[in-house]
Amino acid sequence: MEHIRIANDWYRLDNAAKIFPAISTKKETNTFRVRVDLVDTIDMALLQQAVNLVLERYPMFKVRLKSGLFWNYLDYNERPFIVLPLPQRVCGSLSPKEHNGYLFQIYYWKKSIVLEMFHSLADGSGAFALIKSLVYEYLLLKGLKITPDNLILTRDSLPTVEEYEDSNLTYYDPHNHKHVPEKRAFLIKGTPISDGNIGLISATIATKDMMDLARANEASVTEYLTALMLYTIYITHIQYREHLKENKKPVKIFVPVNLRKQFPSKSLRNFTNFVKSGMVMNRSDISFDEILAETKKQFAYGLQKSELIRKMSENVSFEKNIFLRATPYFLKKFVLKIGYNMMGLLLNTLSFSNLGKIDFPESMQPHIDKISVGVYSGRFNTVNFGVVTYKDQFSMTFTRSIVETTIEREFFRHFTSKGIHMTLESNYVEEYR
Amino acid sequence: MKYCDKCHVDVQTNQKYCPLCHQVLQGDNDETWIELYPKFIPLRREVLPLTKKIILFITIVAIAVLLAINLTAWEGKLWSLIPIGSILYVFMIVRYGVLSRQNIAFKLALLTTALILILNMIDQQFTEPEARGWAINYVTPLALLSCNVAISAIIWIRRINFRDYIFYLLTIMVFSLVPIILCLFNIVTVVWPSLAAFGLAIFILLIIVFFFPKSIKDEIKKRFHF
Ligand SMILES: [Zn+2]
Repeated sequence: MEHIRIANDWYRLDNAAKIFPAISTKKETNTFRVRVDLVDTIDMALLQQAVNLVLERYPMFKVRLKSGLFWNYLDYNERPFIVLPLPQRVCGSLSPKEHNGYLFQIYYWKKSIVLEMFHSLADGSGAFALIKSLVYEYLLLKGLKITPDNLILTRDSLPTVEEYEDSNLTYYDPHNHKHVPEKRAFLIKGTPISDGNIGLISATIATKDMMDLARANEASVTEYLTALMLYTIYITHIQYREHLKENKKPVKIFVPVNLRKQFPSKSLRNFTNFVKSGMVMNRSDISFDEILAETKKQFAYGLQKSELIRKMSENVSFEKNIFLRATPYFLKKFVLKIGYNMMGLLLNTLSFSNLGKIDFPESMQPHIDKISVGVYSGRFNTVNFGVVTYKDQFSMTFTRSIVETTIEREFFRHFTSKGIHMTLESNYVEEYR
Repeated sequence: MKYCDKCHVDVQTNQKYCPLCHQVLQGDNDETWIELYPKFIPLRREVLPLTKKIILFITIVAIAVLLAINLTAWEGKLWSLIPIGSILYVFMIVRYGVLSRQNIAFKLALLTTALILILNMIDQQFTEPEARGWAINYVTPLALLSCNVAISAIIWIRRINFRDYIFYLLTIMVFSLVPIILCLFNIVTVVWPSLAAFGLAIFILLIIVFFFPKSIKDEIKKRFHF
């Protein structure tokens, strides 16, 4: 495999990845987590072996972040990658010291394999490709008879240029990059959890129950849950309090969209855009159906190809701006930081990522019990939400940087009040203060 | 498996309360159950940050005391700059040389640059006019020369990390050009140290260009892509 490493031993950051090193701090970590629970307890030594094998197939992840004069870049990391036991902290910052400079970390705990990744490296699709390969290698090392069935990137294939291309630069349109100004969003305030820890509450329901619920409302699952989220925030924080200053701001849900479904990209790096659904909640008689109708409209508009290209091109043209490019990085950092705080972070109330349906080969399925995802929560977006489907399990995970669990409670009670059976797990951050 | 009859959810835990409504859960603990998430162990406040804080504190106090003495008993000279410069330098050695885990070429380049700046400051401010110029004539080029030798030696001995060190080597090489340029403007009056530093820099550069042309090209591409 030596020849691959020499051929491509450094990578430019992709368009989306460029912003994260400048804006990430210990509190705004910009990391996310993917968890795969196996049926048996994890063998740490085998997992370590599996990671070493998988990293040969993913040279673009065997890197660390280094600084250049104008931009940071990803450079080949010769240090060993070491799997660690799962810490209590969810989506903490990946300090170069503790993680040998790697921008992702594999943890094990009981029957779970947990991948936490810094967003500069890849998005959810890249992370899932990696963890699928890892689980595959791990189960092979355990001596199980499994086949990849073209659903897994294995060491039988070589890494390709398409896998680490920046697809944003391939599919953007230089003539369609108009900036559309936005209003600041309503922010969920609360008591910060001590030590900057993150609370995690995850619920699992039957996939069929979720599908039926969405279908009965003639909406997609993402539309339905987005509307439900808006409604939950409305009844817990705004209803009958519309006159308060903060409550006059629109509630906005940021929903990442996987562009690989719209464009023929094989990239394992960042290739996502977003749809936003928002509403100014200025009356006390807004119904769920009214919100859902509005959400459906906003999704239909936001998911149009021209609109997705516009948003992509807006980012690319910002990156390609000659003045920004020619500014040394240590100055550029401030520009990016201020720009992101004004134009990114404060424009969203909450982010909701739907990673979709995760497929594993049939031969692997009996060994995999459960899959869940989570994203970090920070100072402004204090509550975030991630969902993923695996077989008949629909997993919904809230992460929060505040003590209060009002939103989680009302959101989940919406399902149980309809008689849907729900199983809950929590990292009980509140019990360890 | 426990149950919250208020939220109507099953909860997989041995904890007492419902995570949603904080009411006591129904059901018994399962002694064989291991929690799905590890217990929180409060951050062990590391010794290192405390050491750093103490060093920083001592540095600041020492500087303040020196300045205060110097200014109250004013004799027409800001003599405190010499001990303050030395203290700052010791601080840098400890902070970046010992406590930091940056790569060693970076440390060498940084500490050499700082030493050169401080000694030149002392030279300009406090040396009698007839003896002035020792820092720029001798210290600057010879420090750069030593630094060049040191980084090259490290690169030569630890081949693997070649790529990480080359950038700092290039930086010190560019700095080595400064004394020879100052020679041309008669600011540097003793030529041989500057010439030696310059010669060595060119020699090392030629070796890299001839024997490792790809690595130097790659490094420049990486560091300066925009
Ligand atoms: Zn409850």
